[in-house]
Amino acid sequence: MSSSPLPGDASNDPVTDQTGRFVRQPNGRVRPLSPHLQIWRFHITMWGSILNRFAAGALSVGTLFIGAWLAAAAFGSDAYAGFAGLMGSPLGLLIWFGVTLAAAYHLTAGIRHLIWDAGSGLTPKAADNLTVASFVAALVIAVGFWIVLFATGKVVL
Amino acid sequence: MSKPARYIRHVKVSEREGAGEWKAERLSSLVLIPLALWGLWSAWTLSGAGYDGALDWFRSPVNATVLAITLLISVWHMNMGLKVIVDDYIHKPSSRTALLGLIGALCLLLAAAGVFFIVRLALGSAPLPAGLGA
Repeated sequence: MSSSPLPGDASNDPVTDQTGRFVRQPNGRVRPLSPHLQIWRFHITMWGSILNRFAAGALSVGTLFIGAWLAAAAFGSDAYAGFAGLMGSPLGLLIWFGVTLAAAYHLTAGIRHLIWDAGSGLTPKAADNLTVASFVAALVIAVGFWIVLFATGKVVL
Repeated sequence: MSKPARYIRHVKVSEREGAGEWKAERLSSLVLIPLALWGLWSAWTLSGAGYDGALDWFRSPVNATVLAITLLISVWHMNMGLKVIVDDYIHKPSSRTALLGLIGALCLLLAAAGVFFIVRLALGSAPLPAGLGA
């Protein structure tokens, strides 16, 4: 495939390009360079995507805490009491709130992705709305869950 | 590399494993939706229940089985997700292979240890490490 330069704009000629707008790919072909992060206008689906990957990473760390909880239970009452004491501290509760929030958002963002995969909600407006909905639903689930935990006295600070 | 392309109903068939990974990611996501809600419910039950409450919870075969299934599918889903992140950001083939191997080993260890603990708790085995030889 050959790309002919646009008339009157020398910088669109990939061979003589001096602007850095074209790069030579590893396979030898000359291709336009993608605009870099700094000049993208941030939009909400971008945040949705970044936060979803961040939540996935946080949940990966969270599985280690789940594993530690299973181990503590299997190692008996002393180990379990020690683990529960650590996790009932302000820092421990913050960790578990973070895991709850990450799980809630990974869930709602995942449902959003499944809707997209099914071919729905792909216009810019619908995609934005789905992303806002996934943020709101995740916050409602996570914050609501912890409000109820504190309100019923199951967790005390 | 250049095998003749295969087509099913005029759609090109992947020459590698992309379609299989894509389907496995979606399948595990779908299954994890109800399991995540069940996990939230279980967290509610177990919060503040203490050691005795946790032991009671694990004695239920339904709880132990669903928890083991949730753990295994989560670790499978997590392994696929971490692989995508490594594929995106680590370009040196030797580093990528090493990192994917390490992640795979950690996932296997987590899954095996988790199921081991769950089975012991479900069977009401004596607390570790004393129970190991019994």
